Amino acid sequence: MDEKKNQYSRRDILRHGVWGACAAGVAGTGAILASKSRGQKYVWQIDPYKCTACGNCATFCVLQESAVKCVHAYAMCGYCDLCTGYYRPEPKELNTAAENQLCPRGAIKRTYVEDPYFEYTIDETKCNGCGKCVMGCTSFGNGSLFLQIRHDRCVGCNECAIAIACPENAIVRVPAEEPYLLKDRR
Amino acid sequence: MEIWRNDLNYRQGKIDSGVWAGVVITIAIAAGFCAVLFFDTTGQKGSGLSEEYVYDISQYTKIDPAMILYRQAGPTIAAGLKSTKAIAVRGEIYIAGDKEIIVVDGAGKAKRKITLDAEPTCITLKEDGTIVVGMGDALVVINPEGQERTRWAVEEANARLTSVALSPEIIFAADAVNGLIYEYDWAGKLIRTIGQKSDGKGKNGFVIPSPYFDIAMAPDGLLRVVDPGRHLIVAYTINGDREWSWGTATPAIEGFSGCCNPVNFAILPDGSFVTIEKGLVRVKVYDAEGKFIGVVAGAEQLEWTQQQQVCNTPEQCQSKGFDVAVDNDGRIYVLDTVKNVVRIFEKK
Ligand code: SF4
Ligand code: SF4
Ligand code: SF4
Repeated sequence: MDEKKNQYSRRDILRHGVWGACAAGVAGTGAILASKSRGQKYVWQIDPYKCTACGNCATFCVLQESAVKCVHAYAMCGYCDLCTGYYRPEPKELNTAAENQLCPRGAIKRTYVEDPYFEYTIDETKCNGCGKCVMGCTSFGNGSLFLQIRHDRCVGCNECAIAIACPENAIVRVPAEEPYLLKDRR
Repeated sequence: MEIWRNDLNYRQGKIDSGVWAGVVITIAIAAGFCAVLFFDTTGQKGSGLSEEYVYDISQYTKIDPAMILYRQAGPTIAAGLKSTKAIAVRGEIYIAGDKEIIVVDGAGKAKRKITLDAEPTCITLKEDGTIVVGMGDALVVINPEGQERTRWAVEEANARLTSVALSPEIIFAADAVNGLIYEYDWAGKLIRTIGQKSDGKGKNGFVIPSPYFDIAMAPDGLLRVVDPGRHLIVAYTINGDREWSWGTATPAIEGFSGCCNPVNFAILPDGSFVTIEKGLVRVKVYDAEGKFIGVVAGAEQLEWTQQQQVCNTPEQCQSKGFDVAVDNDGRIYVLDTVKNVVRIFEKK
C-alpha cells in the first residue's frame, strides 16, 4: 500500500513539477510581454475548449512559421504507452521510429518514465501548430495536448489573421498579464 | 519666372495629388477585390496544409452493415438531466446524473426520482431492487423505496469510484484515480483490495489514463475488470487472483482502439460481453471467451460525429465515454453521456 502511495506521489510530483515549470515559463513570458507592451492591455489567444484543431492556425498566421504551437497540460496527461497524439492510428510498433509517429515534423519527444508510462514533450522549434496531434489526443485521449499562441513569437497584430480564419471563433482577446488559456484538471 | 516654372512643371506632366489619391484608391480596391477572389483570408477554403497534416480516422468509423447485429428498439429517451454519468437496468431504467437518479420505463416515461446530496459517478442494482451508488469517494446503499440505508467513504486518498458490481455477499467498487478495486461487505467493512502493484496479482497494477475503470460480475462467478490502458478485460476471482484476460489494441473493428478502451462494458445473461469505446464510438459484442461477434451500434447509429469533439468545459470534454447496461432479455441500453439520452438496442 505504501509503495503504491509512493509511486503516485512520485508521479504526481513529476506531473505537477513539469506542469509547474511550464506554467512558470509561460508566466515569465507573460510578465516580459506585459513589461514590453506597457499600455497594451489585451493579446490574442486560443480558447482550447472551442478550438477544433482545424489546421488554419498553421497557415493563417502572418509569420512564416506560425506563432501557434502545441502545448501540453501534463497534469491532464495519462502518460500512455499508446499515446494517440504521438502515434499514428495503427502504429507498426510502439517505438520512436518515424513511420510510427503522427506528427509530420517529428516535433514530439517520447521519454520513458516508469513501466508502463511515457512522457511527451513538444519541440516548439519544429512545431507549426498544425493540430494533428491535438486531434489524436482529443479524439481518444484526455485532451492534454492543445494549441496556444506563444507570445514569445506573436507580433500582436491589430487584427489576428488567424482570428479571421478561425471557423470556431476560438481566438479571443485575453489580458496581457495572463496571456495563456491553459487546460487543467479543473 | 516662378510662375512659368510652376506652369512648366505642371505642363511637363506632374500629376495632381488628387489624381494620385484616386489611382492609389483604385489600385487598393482592385487589390482587395483580387484578394477576396483569389486568396482565402477567412479560412473558407481550409488550411491549405498537405495531406500528411490531416488527421483522418474515417476508414475506421465505417462499419460493414452485415456486422451490425442489433437495431434500435423504440425512440431515443431523453434523460432530462444536464449531466448523465451511469445507467443500470432492472425492469426499469435507472439513470444517474446531476444530483439524482431518474427512473423511467422502457418507453421513457418518468416513474420516480431519487434525490442525492452529491453527483453520482456509478450505479448498480441488486436483484431485490436495492440501489448501490458511487458518489466520488463514497458508496451509498439505497433501498428499493429510495431511502438511504448506509454509506461509507473509501479510505484511499482522492478516490473516484467509477464502477460498482455486486455478488450476494460483496460490493466491489472500482477507483479510477488509485487504480484499485475495493471489496466490502454490505455493512461497509473492507474485505480486500485488488490491483496493488506489489501484490503480484495485479500484473503491475491497472493502467487507467482516463477516468474510466469498469467492473462487472459475470455469470461464471468471476469478476471482470477493464484494464483500459492495456486494452484488456481481465477475469479475477473474488479473492483477488488474476485468472486470464483478452483484448487487442487496434482501431480495427475486432479490437479496442485508442489509448485506453473499452471505457465501459456489460455482461449479457449468456456471459457474452457488450463493450463501449470512446474516440471511435462503437458498441460491440464479444462471446464469453472474448471472440468478436459483431456490432451493436457505431457512430452512425448513435448519431455521433467527429464534430462533437467541440466541448466548452472540461466536464463536457471528459464525458465522451458512454455507459451501457443490459436486461435479462438481452436488450442493450446505451447511455450517451454527451447528449444525455438513452438508446435501447435489440437483436435484429
Ligand atoms: S502534430 Fe502539428 S501541432 Fe502537433 S507537435 Fe507536430 S507540428 Fe506541432
Ligand atoms: S496576432 Fe499575428 S502573429 Fe500573433 S498569432 Fe495572430 S496572426 Fe500570428
Ligand atoms: S483556426 Fe481556430 S479552430 Fe482552427 S486550429 Fe486555430 S484556433 Fe483552432
